[in-house]
Amino acid sequence: MEEIVSELTVNSPKQPEAPSALGPAAMKLDNVAVSFHGRTAVRDATFEVTKNRVTSLIGPSGSGKTTLLRALNRLHDLTPGTKVSGRITLEGEDIYRGNITVTELRSRVGMVFQRPNPFPTMSIYDNAVSGLRFNGIKKKEILDEAAETSLRAAALWESVSSRLKVSAGQLSGGEQQRLCIARALALDPEVLLMDEPTSALDPVATLRIEELMTTLKQRVTVVIVTHNMQQAARISDDCAFLLMGEDRAGELIEFGPTQKIFNDPTDSRTLDYTLGRFG
Amino acid sequence: MTNIDELTPVEDGHEMRALIRRTSNNQRARRVLISRVMMTLCAVAIAIAIVPLALLVYQLLRRGIPVLSTTFFTKLPESPSLTAPNATGGVSNAIIGSLALNIYASMMAIPIGVLAGVYLAESNSKLASTLRVIAQTMAGAPSILMGLFAFSLFVQDIKIGFTAIDGSFALAVLMLPVIAISSEISVRNVPNTLREAGLALGAKPHKISMKVVLPSALTGIVTGVILALSRAVGETAPVLLVIGGGYLNTWKPLDPVSALPLMIYTNAKSEWPSLRAEVWGIALVLVVVIFVLSLGARLWASRKQQVRN
Repeated sequence: MEEIVSELTVNSPKQPEAPSALGPAAMKLDNVAVSFHGRTAVRDATFEVTKNRVTSLIGPSGSGKTTLLRALNRLHDLTPGTKVSGRITLEGEDIYRGNITVTELRSRVGMVFQRPNPFPTMSIYDNAVSGLRFNGIKKKEILDEAAETSLRAAALWESVSSRLKVSAGQLSGGEQQRLCIARALALDPEVLLMDEPTSALDPVATLRIEELMTTLKQRVTVVIVTHNMQQAARISDDCAFLLMGEDRAGELIEFGPTQKIFNDPTDSRTLDYTLGRFG
Repeated sequence: MTNIDELTPVEDGHEMRALIRRTSNNQRARRVLISRVMMTLCAVAIAIAIVPLALLVYQLLRRGIPVLSTTFFTKLPESPSLTAPNATGGVSNAIIGSLALNIYASMMAIPIGVLAGVYLAESNSKLASTLRVIAQTMAGAPSILMGLFAFSLFVQDIKIGFTAIDGSFALAVLMLPVIAISSEISVRNVPNTLREAGLALGAKPHKISMKVVLPSALTGIVTGVILALSRAVGETAPVLLVIGGGYLNTWKPLDPVSALPLMIYTNAKSEWPSLRAEVWGIALVLVVVIFVLSLGARLWASRKQQVRN
């Protein structure tokens, strides 16, 4: 049993960081719950997403990880019958009731999806700058520079710089996903939400995205949903563990530094899950 | 038959495997027989379906090709007389008329139809579902109805007379539901993940419709438009009552015009064998146009699909 624990351990587990000394929060969740047509999908989510760290949301299927993630950029808005309660703030501003418009929020909180979804009718270049164009930026010099910067940040520039006008559909799955990351980064967001970004990729492509994430957190705060506990252990600094409750609604069981969640969790269910006893 | 039981020794604890193998072997002859009979029936059915079609194409080519000539395409129609019973002239007025009718009809039906399709696909309102039912009913309505509608509206009520615009209106009404429905399907087939990708980048819904959804659905929309057009080109009933059967080469919307299907209809009833023969040439031209349109749509769509992948 101890072997498994050490395998999942990140860095040095001897000196767990104190949860209070993490730094300023990019987003705060206070008692957040999401319901669809009156049926609660996830609740009791209270935690802080700390700046320039990777926060992972883990838990078995149906625990509400993705639902919670999509509340952070109001992607539920267009789904009829969805209600988000509690309080979510970005830089102290309530994203549901504050002055911030939904389009502004989404340009500040970017998202990468489970399956790579580049726009198939657009070239690599057009995909990279699509977010800027959607937001009304047309100047060629600005777009050119943003395309290069974001493709470099997504570790894609080297392989695509000579074929920027080629359709995005011609890239491999891993490259497409990095293009989607570049597309989100082009808007220079404060937070990047990633919904199981490697679940549709092969191990090599997965590794490249994981490497990318550790460098990305210097410029953007990352929140990632993952099914893969090893991945959460490898790349995240903080970790939220969710579980489906008695009434089939997901709830936050425990939140803390990843090392603590994996090595010394407060709740026995967290330990059972991270050790692979269920889920 | 060989004794299957000997060939498949029963292993202890795996009696089911032996039973399945034995049963399957015993039924093999019967399965092969059923398969052959069914295949034969399918072949016969295909033959029955294809033979009349092949005969039709054969007749069309055999009788149509001799009619085609430079005169046929470039000259106006003439009336045969006792002294010149074969002087039928050409059908240039009907070619230009058909082109004009369908171009004007497309100009009316394509923008409205495509936008209506986008609306039907993207809206969940009561109005949208009502409109969808209307469009589906209209798509199946007899085409003479469109002609009757245009006749009562333009000829009887507005009193602009028998003109090309009346006919294009009737054809546009005919094309509209087909374009709207096929556009709706194409727009619906655009994966929702692309819309979400647009939303997540801070795009407003109308930008997503224009920049993401419509380009992705374009192949399907264009295919639908061309299929609607190829149906309109061959329609006689909607234009029969309203275009006036003009005898001049004219592109003017307010002139009476002729059309290829209309000429088939009138010439086929003629006393003159030369005019009745000419009908096959017109029919051949129509079939070729429709064939080229639908083949072109297919080729274009499949090439577009290949480029994307």
